[in-house]
Amino acid sequence: MTEHTQTLVPPAVETFVEEVRARLDDLTTEQRDELLDGLAADLTEQLADGAEGVLDDPAAYATELRAAAGLPEHGRRGLPRPQLPTPQRVEATLDRARAAWLRRVGDTMPWELVEAVRPAWWVARAWIAVTLLDQVTGSWEPVSLLPSFGVPLLGAAILAVAVVGSVLIGMDRLWPGAGPERSLVARLSLIALNVAAVLAPLSFGISGPGYLSGTPYDEYTGYNQGYDDASRGLSAGLRNDGEPVRNVFAYDASGQPLRGIQLFDQEGRPMALQPNQAVQGRGDARRVGCAWLNGASPQYNVFPLAERLQVRGTCAPTDDTGRMGPVAIPVPPLAQVPPVNRPEGIPRPAEVTQVPPR
Amino acid sequence: MDTTQLLKGVLDLTVLSVVDDEDGYGYDVLRRLRAGGLTEVGDASVYGTLRRLYAAGALTSYVVPSEEGPHRKYYGITPAGRDQLRQQTKEWRSFSETVTSILDRPGGASR
Repeated sequence: MTEHTQTLVPPAVETFVEEVRARLDDLTTEQRDELLDGLAADLTEQLADGAEGVLDDPAAYATELRAAAGLPEHGRRGLPRPQLPTPQRVEATLDRARAAWLRRVGDTMPWELVEAVRPAWWVARAWIAVTLLDQVTGSWEPVSLLPSFGVPLLGAAILAVAVVGSVLIGMDRLWPGAGPERSLVARLSLIALNVAAVLAPLSFGISGPGYLSGTPYDEYTGYNQGYDDASRGLSAGLRNDGEPVRNVFAYDASGQPLRGIQLFDQEGRPMALQPNQAVQGRGDARRVGCAWLNGASPQYNVFPLAERLQVRGTCAPTDDTGRMGPVAIPVPPLAQVPPVNRPEGIPRPAEVTQVPPR
Repeated sequence: MDTTQLLKGVLDLTVLSVVDDEDGYGYDVLRRLRAGGLTEVGDASVYGTLRRLYAAGALTSYVVPSEEGPHRKYYGITPAGRDQLRQQTKEWRSFSETVTSILDRPGGASR
């Protein structure tokens, strides 16, 4: 029946509905369909009743339709424009957050405990601030319980002042103070300072335990060692433009692919992939590289590496291998490459004399 | 006088009232309004009003396939729509009585 009914909409009505639709293009699809659904039937019947001028002005029609449907004029978005938060709204948000926070804390632990912990936080943030200052001024030194500033007693003096200041802020005797009845600027400042105090220790985190172990410099050396190891780990294996190389395909001068090429650098070191570097794809399409063997010892500098499908692990026999497919030399990415000529002055292969081994 | 502005104020009320009598599709509602005397009411205004009342929950809608043309979208009144109709009818009565009494006062224009 649908086909039959579709043919009975006069083309003029169809065109008109489409023109109206085009003038509703700023509405959501749902809104538009809601406005236009059934319109063709109504207009068709109106025309059949002999109405005149109904299809004259789609633009005016769309405007009237929108106005009556309570939708904004064309081009004006139905969504409210984003507004900058007003101070009142920010304060209301802060109040809500504070209330929610206090409720949660109150549910978790008794208030006496919270009250008792507050001064500890005041002292802690003072220490964090002074330590941060100590870290950013002068030469690097391990974090210590008493910031040194490189001058005897100076650290202790600054720390004492900072603790007193922090406690006075906590007791609302010093700007920005504490509690909800202060200016928005003061409240936001205190939040910013406290957040900074919580995050700052992360910046002196790595060597942090130094002041606990009592051997800060060992800690520092250990850190350097770890840093070096990490860098080596990052750069191990072969890379091409910074991207890890998964396999290598060599071609001879005539452009034909080669198999079993052994690669060494200028120092005679094997240019080998890490076994876990020779992995491509994911899931069932995951392929691992399998090394050529020198006796039983895998040589990851011989290319192209053979490959096999293997869900996890590497081709190394000690690994937990999971499901795996047969080993095969992969098809080279390029069947062959353009032939090349040797640089001028290099003798033909027959004339090459054996270079004595290093 | 241009009755367009007056119509706008009572379109919701009259459309609800017509649909309350009997469910109807857009042109059917328009025809009944015009037959009732609102000859100048625009079709797009009526169709738009039906969609708005539907979106506000005062009307329900359902589609009826038609033998002789595209499917028709019928509207019926909801309980919320009936409440709105009752409320607005009361307001209209009191409003029109007020206006009438102002116009009918001694020395008024209609005398």
